[in-house]
Amino acid sequence: MPEAAAADTTAGGAFEPKIVAFLCNWCSYAGADLAGISRIQYPPSIRVIRVPCSGRVDPFYILKALQKGADGVLVSGCHPGDCHYLTGNYVARRRFAVLNDLLEFAGIDPGRVSFSWVSAAEGERFAEVVRDVTEQVRQLGPNKKLLKDTIA
Amino acid sequence: MKPRVVSAEALTRLVTGWAKNAAVYAPVKVKDWTEFRRISTLAEADLTRVNTKLSVRGLLFPQCETMFRFEAARPDKPQEADQPEAQVILGVRPCDAAGIAVLDKFFAGQGETDTFYQRRREKTTLVGLACPSPADTCFCSAVGGSPAGTRGLDLLLTDIGGRYLVEPLTDNGESAVKDLPEAAAADFAKKKEIADRAAAAITLRIDTAGLKGLLDSADSHPVWEDLSLACVNCGACTFVCPTCHCFDITDETRKGKGARLRVWDTCQFCLYSQHASGHNPRQTHVSRFRNRTMDKFKYTVDMVGEVSCVGCGRCIRECPAAVDIRETVETLAMRLKE
Amino acid sequence: MSREDQLRKRAKELLANKEVAMVLGYRAGKRPGRATPAFVTRPEDADILIFDDRCGMNLAAYLPRVKHRGRIAVVAKGCDSRSIVTLLKERQVDRSQFFILGVGCEGVKENGRLSDSCTTCAYPNPVICDEMVGEKVAEREPAPDPLADFEKLSSDQRWQVLMDDVSRCIRCYACRQVCPNCYCPTCFVDANSPQWVGKTTAGSDNMMFHLMRAMHMAGRCVECGACSRGCPMGIDLMKFNRKVARVVRERFGAVAGLDPDQPPALAAFDPNDKQEFIR
Repeated sequence: MPEAAAADTTAGGAFEPKIVAFLCNWCSYAGADLAGISRIQYPPSIRVIRVPCSGRVDPFYILKALQKGADGVLVSGCHPGDCHYLTGNYVARRRFAVLNDLLEFAGIDPGRVSFSWVSAAEGERFAEVVRDVTEQVRQLGPNKKLLKDTIA
Repeated sequence: MKPRVVSAEALTRLVTGWAKNAAVYAPVKVKDWTEFRRISTLAEADLTRVNTKLSVRGLLFPQCETMFRFEAARPDKPQEADQPEAQVILGVRPCDAAGIAVLDKFFAGQGETDTFYQRRREKTTLVGLACPSPADTCFCSAVGGSPAGTRGLDLLLTDIGGRYLVEPLTDNGESAVKDLPEAAAADFAKKKEIADRAAAAITLRIDTAGLKGLLDSADSHPVWEDLSLACVNCGACTFVCPTCHCFDITDETRKGKGARLRVWDTCQFCLYSQHASGHNPRQTHVSRFRNRTMDKFKYTVDMVGEVSCVGCGRCIRECPAAVDIRETVETLAMRLKE
Repeated sequence: MSREDQLRKRAKELLANKEVAMVLGYRAGKRPGRATPAFVTRPEDADILIFDDRCGMNLAAYLPRVKHRGRIAVVAKGCDSRSIVTLLKERQVDRSQFFILGVGCEGVKENGRLSDSCTTCAYPNPVICDEMVGEKVAEREPAPDPLADFEKLSSDQRWQVLMDDVSRCIRCYACRQVCPNCYCPTCFVDANSPQWVGKTTAGSDNMMFHLMRAMHMAGRCVECGACSRGCPMGIDLMKFNRKVARVVRERFGAVAGLDPDQPPALAAFDPNDKQEFIR
């Protein structure tokens, strides 16, 4: 199995961030799919994990992604009011607000963990969010905090 | 082996010498207490506290130890973890040393040898420090120990005012101090005076043999329900204890490489005794509390012939609920007779 | 009659009249300066009960465990009473199961010094009780913001301070076990199929535990300080808990354990919650 370090840089040596993206099935994942079908180009930095709802995303998953080596995490769901399960994203919004503030307090660089509302019709918007997040994480550099890269 | 004397300066030189060929550990000030840390000079050590926050067992049986490493690409060639280096542990209180002697029985005295413990043990020199003034939580002499006990040690140092009396107890200890001047009879007498005074300061007595007899049939006695109420079943007592030795084994992997790790575990955690089927023989809080006390005062007597509580008092000091094993034992002695 | 005497008298009466099967309070620990929980079932034993600045444990943590004994009278200081409200909100205990003997608290002391958590106490008197023992105590002027200095540091500095602290964690879970809010049958750190959090005491694994425990405390932690007093390694747990409590207060106007009829802050929502951090 090849060492993944080689995949972190392009031929030109620029750092290519690895971003784990939790996308809610009904809106954001569909929006990402629309971007794909429309052949809208965006950086290949995200690794998508489809969840039924942004409310399904336990803050633990976000931390775990960072621990496992993600340079950034994106969580995206339906716009408030449009949640397929009616209130999932409202509850998620509170949870993410607390997590966002706690992570910043703890010293995780602002911008490593991002949240967005992207609807199923917003293919271009999804691509834009990914471009913005990728660039932001690229500027921050590889994530070292919380990373568990040595095993005992 | 003749007792020696060593001044503070001479001890400093000795420690610096030891540090050339071995890792030297000693109690070092951390916040309001001391913990065993690696030192390169004696000046870094703080030998004034009675005992360290965590016991010395972590240097022979680390909280997290790599057993071996492996790679997905080479499944038939696991790599042994790095060999431990030689170590000299300075400032070991007699209670902790007695604890090591008990651990020796568990890790190497029951037919099988725990190679991970053993290879560290073989490279370890234990330099003890007698206790002139036991803390209010100390009760070593109630469980067969003493503030100037020599069990488990290679050397015992006693501060006799301006210098230390040095008693070599093993060949290893003797060779570490062979160049030191011999002690005079007066030095030895001073040490004895200090040791006797310290022993007299501990007034608690525990009839461990009697207690063992009572515990033999105490499994279902209602006293455990009452005793266990205050205990919150955390692992603080077990993790600071010099003789607790339970562990869990876990594998961790990352990017095609991994390691098998041994980590401390505790009978106080619910998960500890849970079977793969979901059944848990120690499901209740009471059963887990009972287990620890029974283990220290009965089960280890059954298994290796002695009580495994060494009276260091750490569990008393660190328990968040102020559960006191001395009170527990006293209540048991009283109520189990009913 | 001193407050302690009043407490003992009431406890005796409640037990003698069989209004309660047990009085859950504090008694002197064997060591000076420490109190330990008392579980009094006989009126004649009520004299062991104390209430003073040694009484640092949050007795609400013991309620789920003793409720099978019958109706329980519980001594509750301000923070403990808010924990009881939290447990009521989360349906872990039934109001009819206990009789709250409220006491005003002037702060817990450790080694003669006021415990860190008590320096910012805003609720020294019980917010819920069946009977108040003694007078209410005056509310204290809270200490200046304990997080101010920390928040002035840079991201990297803050991370380093926290990592240096949590790297000393021995994962004994004393903090979790003394906390009334931690009643999950299987804690996330114990989940092992699959293993969610590594069992090593590497900084990363320890930080995962402490960050996630802080998240689980959001809107629920009453900042009683039992966790940080219980920690054998002296880790500054209040830092995490205070930050999360403040975020919940400032963003959602919710303070843990004040109103039994208000749903838990993170189980509720307001369509107008601020979302400035969301793209």
